[in-house]
Amino acid sequence: MDRKVVNVAIASVGGQGGLTLSRVLAVAAVYDGLSVRTGETLGMAQRFGSVVSYVRFGDSVLSPTFSEGEADYLIGLELTEALRALKLLKSGGLALVANIVKPPVTAGLKKEELTAETLLREISKYARTIQVPAAEIAQRAGNPRAINMVMLGAFVLISSTLSDSSIRSAIAEVVPQRWVESSIKAYELGRSFVLRKLSSSSS
Amino acid sequence: MGNEAIARGFVEAGVSVVSGYPGTPSSEVIATLHEFGVGSEIYVEWAVNERVAFEIAYGAAISGARAAATMKAPGASVALDPLISSAYGGVEGGLVVLVADDPGPHTTQTEQDNRWLGPLAKLPVLSPSSPQEAKDLAVTAFDLSEELKLPVILRTTTRVNHAVGDVVLGPVRPPQRFREFRKNIPRFVRAGMVFNLERHRWLNSRLELAEDTLSKLYPSANRVEGSGELCVVTEGAAYNYVKEVLEELGVEASVVKLSLLYPPPVKFLGEALRSCREVLVVEELDPYLEAVVKKLLHELGRRVPVYGKDSGYVPKEGELSRRLVAEALASAGWVPKAAISSPAKALPSPSPRPPPMCPGCPHRNTYIALLLAIARAGYGRDEVPIFGDIGCYALSFQPPFEAIWTEHSMGASISMAMGLKAAGYGKPVVATIGDSTLFHAGLQPLLEAVHKRVDVLVVVLDNSVVAMTGHQSTPAWGTTESGRRAKPVSIEEVVRAIGVDRVYVIDPYDLDLAVEVLTKALKEAGVRVVVAKHPCALMEVRARGVSRRYRVVESRCTGCLACVRVTGCPALYYSNGKVRVAEEDCVGCGLCARFCPYNAFEVVEVG
Repeated sequence: MDRKVVNVAIASVGGQGGLTLSRVLAVAAVYDGLSVRTGETLGMAQRFGSVVSYVRFGDSVLSPTFSEGEADYLIGLELTEALRALKLLKSGGLALVANIVKPPVTAGLKKEELTAETLLREISKYARTIQVPAAEIAQRAGNPRAINMVMLGAFVLISSTLSDSSIRSAIAEVVPQRWVESSIKAYELGRSFVLRKLSSSSS
Repeated sequence: MGNEAIARGFVEAGVSVVSGYPGTPSSEVIATLHEFGVGSEIYVEWAVNERVAFEIAYGAAISGARAAATMKAPGASVALDPLISSAYGGVEGGLVVLVADDPGPHTTQTEQDNRWLGPLAKLPVLSPSSPQEAKDLAVTAFDLSEELKLPVILRTTTRVNHAVGDVVLGPVRPPQRFREFRKNIPRFVRAGMVFNLERHRWLNSRLELAEDTLSKLYPSANRVEGSGELCVVTEGAAYNYVKEVLEELGVEASVVKLSLLYPPPVKFLGEALRSCREVLVVEELDPYLEAVVKKLLHELGRRVPVYGKDSGYVPKEGELSRRLVAEALASAGWVPKAAISSPAKALPSPSPRPPPMCPGCPHRNTYIALLLAIARAGYGRDEVPIFGDIGCYALSFQPPFEAIWTEHSMGASISMAMGLKAAGYGKPVVATIGDSTLFHAGLQPLLEAVHKRVDVLVVVLDNSVVAMTGHQSTPAWGTTESGRRAKPVSIEEVVRAIGVDRVYVIDPYDLDLAVEVLTKALKEAGVRVVVAKHPCALMEVRARGVSRRYRVVESRCTGCLACVRVTGCPALYYSNGKVRVAEEDCVGCGLCARFCPYNAFEVVEVG
């Protein structure tokens, strides 16, 4: 497994579970014997605001954040925020985005139309993009809030950076007990979605 | 997380009393210790404010107990009076004061640099760079405090407090509790000026021991890494960026990493800088270390160029980053400018998403009621200044409300409103303050307003919790997070006891009554207090779940946006010419439906 430092940016709307996703990645990286740092700001007042989490793991990591143009991966739990955070992605980096739009209040006040199609088109203009119907998949996993776990599955499969067994243990450690089962299910469905997508595009 | 690591360090050091006031990015230290729960030998509680928290910790530490107080940057100013005096009395048990600064700033009103507390309060300041070092230095800080008999400030920043990283744990010492408290008037009574002069001499003599004591306790706290005649002096979060960037850019340099920031470790630093040809100081916020380095080199008679903030290579505002450190190296000419990747190309920037008040937030109702009441009382919105205070409700400054005119410091809404009246402002003034902020620093201003017979309307936005920092307890709770049975303090009773002229209690969810009461109160004279009481929506949903939601009947919605313009609710969005409700975010408060002129919202009963 490649152990050079991997930079992951997670863009979300406060309350969507971006911090939980970052924590699961961090714990899994520790289980895989990697050095890890994450950087984020916490507090209830981030609810429904723009949130970016930085996750870095590899042989030796010190800084909890990275600068613009340094992310290997951008995981977007929401498309407006994914577009906003796109500047963090390095050229050649991969944007892995949930097909979800939560337009900010400021857009509504301006009667600005934000649709998944237009946002996705914008994002894919600047980066290699994989979109995941995360809301539908989470619903299928029996936990509509587990969008973050669907995206976790998609990320782990496509990046091959962290081991499946460590991710599963990390979910069990980080996610509250009653949500573990459906979170694992969402994680698995996220994996298999990307797996199918990859195999269909390569055939 | 850094804060969990600090909590662990406190436990490893045998802390027995911990007090603090919630404030990002410091809150998770006490939250972590609360997990020990009922029956723990460690006293861990939130206090009404930082000075009370510090004094509780100080009172414990003069008896030989190990104690700690935690606070965010502005909280250190609230605790400053007792903090400075504590340097003269000193301690018997280790006393550590965690002060969490916020370069950026991410969640703080100023970029106050609390490293200056060292020279100001004359107390040792330690600064970690990583979660591991935060844990280790937290333990060391107690030992250092006890050896020097001085409180020690553990100064952190957001990128240490909230950085997650792997931490190797150490052994846990049993809690060090009360040993003895002897009457010692010259030491603990600051009323005697002769004592105070003598204690100042004592304090200075203790500070002289700090560097040697620390290097015995933790030899690598201050260290040199790498080698070369180019030297970077750094500390805290900046150290991480420096180490990574030097390695990635292949610069051969000595990294002089300091953990003891006050008193500056001049013996170590003089030696570390001996063979430097050029020095770059990389630190966040003020040029604190830069001044230390320049003074020391001057005293040593060394003429060496020192770069940093004064030279304009390192910014004086905002937080540092890997890129900014790389740019500083380029400015110093240590790497070619071309070696630094250029910032990302211009990308589209979507409409901003500042954190709004949550769906169902009772503060939204209170501010809407207040704005309607101002109109109903016959005033324009520009005629009745609304002074804000610190908490979630300050988010009412954003569109569509643009309600508050100021948000200054804890409790300032009431005293600043009073000042405006004292200056001769003729129309009504309103102060809006949250329940926890009122307990923290609002009661004395209220007392002042009552005593001076000022005309002011005070609206207490009472959601029964410290919401903004993550739902901590207030003095109104009957049981604290540690499981301690507490005596709930009633805001209404306290306010009445202070002697305000009129007190009203309303539920802002009853909007009509709220408007009526506020209109009446606006027109009255004297100090009027309206307690707008309704639980934080997040807490209410967590406790009771959501029983109904709203949805838009498309055929009736004209897309007029009245609902969005009045409520600014983040569960409402605009799409295809219509307003829609984000089902997963709606908590069923019904405010949108109330302000829809076309009756386009309908209720959906949920499970």
